[in-house]
Amino acid sequence: MTDQTNSPTTASDQKLKEAYFTASQRQLIWQRFKKNKSALIGAWVLIILILSGIFAPFLTPYDATIAGRDKEYMNGAPEIPQFCDDNGCSARPFIYTTERTRSIETNFRWVTEVKTGLEDRRYVHFFVEGSSYKYFGITFNTHLFGVDKGQVHLFGTDSTGKDIFSRTFSAINTSMAVGTIGVFIAFFMALIIGGVAGYYGGWIDSTLQMITDTVRTIPSIPLFMALAAFIPDTWSAESRFFFISMVLGLIGWPTLARRIRTHLLTERNQEYVLAAQLCGAKAGHVIRRHLLPSFTSYIIVDLVISFPYMVLSETALSFIGLGLKDPVNSLGVMLQNVTSADVLLNYQWYFIPVIFFIALVLAFVFVGDGLRDAADPYSDSKK
Amino acid sequence: MLQFSKFVAVRASLAVLTLLLVSFIVFTLMELVPGDCAERYLSFKNSQGAVITPADIQAERVRLGLDQPYVKRWAFWVANAFRGEFGDSCILRLNISQLLGQKFWLSLGLCLSALVLAYAIAIPVGILAATSKNALLNNSLRLVSYLGLALPNFLLALMIMLFSTIWFGESLTGLFSKEFRDAAWNWDRVKDFLGHAWLPIFILGWSATAFAIQTVRALMSDEIGKLYVTAAAARGVSGRRLLMRYPARHALAPIINSLGFDLNRIFNELPVVALILTLTEAGSLLIEALARSNDQQLAGAIIFLLTGSIVTINFVTDILLAVTDPRVRRSIVGG
Repeated sequence: MTDQTNSPTTASDQKLKEAYFTASQRQLIWQRFKKNKSALIGAWVLIILILSGIFAPFLTPYDATIAGRDKEYMNGAPEIPQFCDDNGCSARPFIYTTERTRSIETNFRWVTEVKTGLEDRRYVHFFVEGSSYKYFGITFNTHLFGVDKGQVHLFGTDSTGKDIFSRTFSAINTSMAVGTIGVFIAFFMALIIGGVAGYYGGWIDSTLQMITDTVRTIPSIPLFMALAAFIPDTWSAESRFFFISMVLGLIGWPTLARRIRTHLLTERNQEYVLAAQLCGAKAGHVIRRHLLPSFTSYIIVDLVISFPYMVLSETALSFIGLGLKDPVNSLGVMLQNVTSADVLLNYQWYFIPVIFFIALVLAFVFVGDGLRDAADPYSDSKK
Repeated sequence: MLQFSKFVAVRASLAVLTLLLVSFIVFTLMELVPGDCAERYLSFKNSQGAVITPADIQAERVRLGLDQPYVKRWAFWVANAFRGEFGDSCILRLNISQLLGQKFWLSLGLCLSALVLAYAIAIPVGILAATSKNALLNNSLRLVSYLGLALPNFLLALMIMLFSTIWFGESLTGLFSKEFRDAAWNWDRVKDFLGHAWLPIFILGWSATAFAIQTVRALMSDEIGKLYVTAAAARGVSGRRLLMRYPARHALAPIINSLGFDLNRIFNELPVVALILTLTEAGSLLIEALARSNDQQLAGAIIFLLTGSIVTINFVTDILLAVTDPRVRRSIVGG
């Protein structure tokens, strides 16, 4: 006691040490995760993307479906707001009015004409009223930005005049939702099957392992395709969406189930499990209260790692036309539009969603990898 | 030797059992698709002007054996499938094994070449990455392999194709030039084929390579820290000899074991890549069968064949591992 009061540095050292030894698993992981710069950047990108996906209706000026299309501006190039032009500067950023005309000068073809006059400026305003959307049953119609006349398209428009900016963000939302539902279904199946196999062992384990391995040997995209082919054309876009997410989940569980099983096989012979069993705890209780908490962190890491695969699968499915369809709008649906040479030559802005897609997957991979390193207690000693 | 053949027998029967399970899943899926062959045949006749009654459909069902119980039809299908006979496709009204024939082997060849390419690059690069202390090299390799995941194959295929169309005026699609499409195999056709096949092989190998580098690197850096490596270094073994003789051998065993699943992953990408590059082999047939015409017989046959090749590879690698790795051999034969 006197020792500690005499030397405050050792006391604080002691405290630090104590904090280290009594730190929960979560605190330790967070400490290690913070040191990993690329993972931290990935985490920020991910958070920003997720938030912008969730608040897409507010952040984007127009409805992402055909209802929000701009008949006056089809296949239109991105419009970048500017502050100055030949007619002078303005404190409020503006874009120009465009008009589709057809006359003898243009050989009677529809041509988009940009009017650069002072009176043709469209000024950007914030918190404008626009199409309505719903959160928690309350209807809103305020959007982050918009213009006073006509419409503004930061990323341009597609062939039907839909705003690519609005579509990109709502697509992130959809893809994340599909991924989340898929991951959770896969997770519950893996938990039950892997849990039972790992806890009981013996012939139950062998049988379940065999089924798991069988599902693993079937190439999943062809299987997705076979399952997705069941969807009758008459289904609404929403039921299609749920079906696809379910299918993704139903096929994605084996890898996770295997890991859970392996972990349980080693954990179940530990003393604390024996103690619980001797106290008369039932199997379900032991799994839920003692075994699962012993590796929650690993499960979370696995979930994050499997997330980009879900997003990729959904994208591949939608891309070949078996997944989601308009008006539900996912990154895969958007990628469908870039498949023609015409787009590469004339409408390069169609590729903007591709950048978001790559950023999303990369962010997930970086965060997943960082979390995996952080959750591994031996990662420091390896270096 | 006796124990070894017993091991082979057990593995073989497990492989067959897996295939049976797969065939059951596939067959069930095929059955769940609305509409059966009898209805399809007769609706075709109907479209040709014949008048169809429900009794006709029933008679057709009896003729095709569709009135038999489910399990019996499954057994029949499986027995035929193992002999390479998948019956007729009701939509195309063609024999499936004739339709698939060479196309399936071409697809399998493409996927296997992509697999070989992936590991030919990944094993040296992965070992290098695990042993090198160069931070720049390690980080750039990590970025490349992350990109391999984030830039999906179909996007890569699309980019390469579009760029080549624009800059070289060549479309790079298909597996054969027009004049060789239906020609018999000869040297010119092989050359033509190779001239076209490099692109799908490269694209299929792209993400597989990225993935394989990650695996090799992780396994290798696990092994390299172990005591037997230090011991070998202390005895004076060094450089490449040390790496090849000790850690690399151990690190590669799990990779051989997972080759089947790697092939599975490559198969996954095949249909999409095939769609973009308009390859007329099994991958695009599968899309055709599922997305356009709902042809469950054809789809079932393709999935069964794919799984069959994966199971076969798993079986072969199991045996191979038992032959080459003394630890596995010992656990089978007994110490």
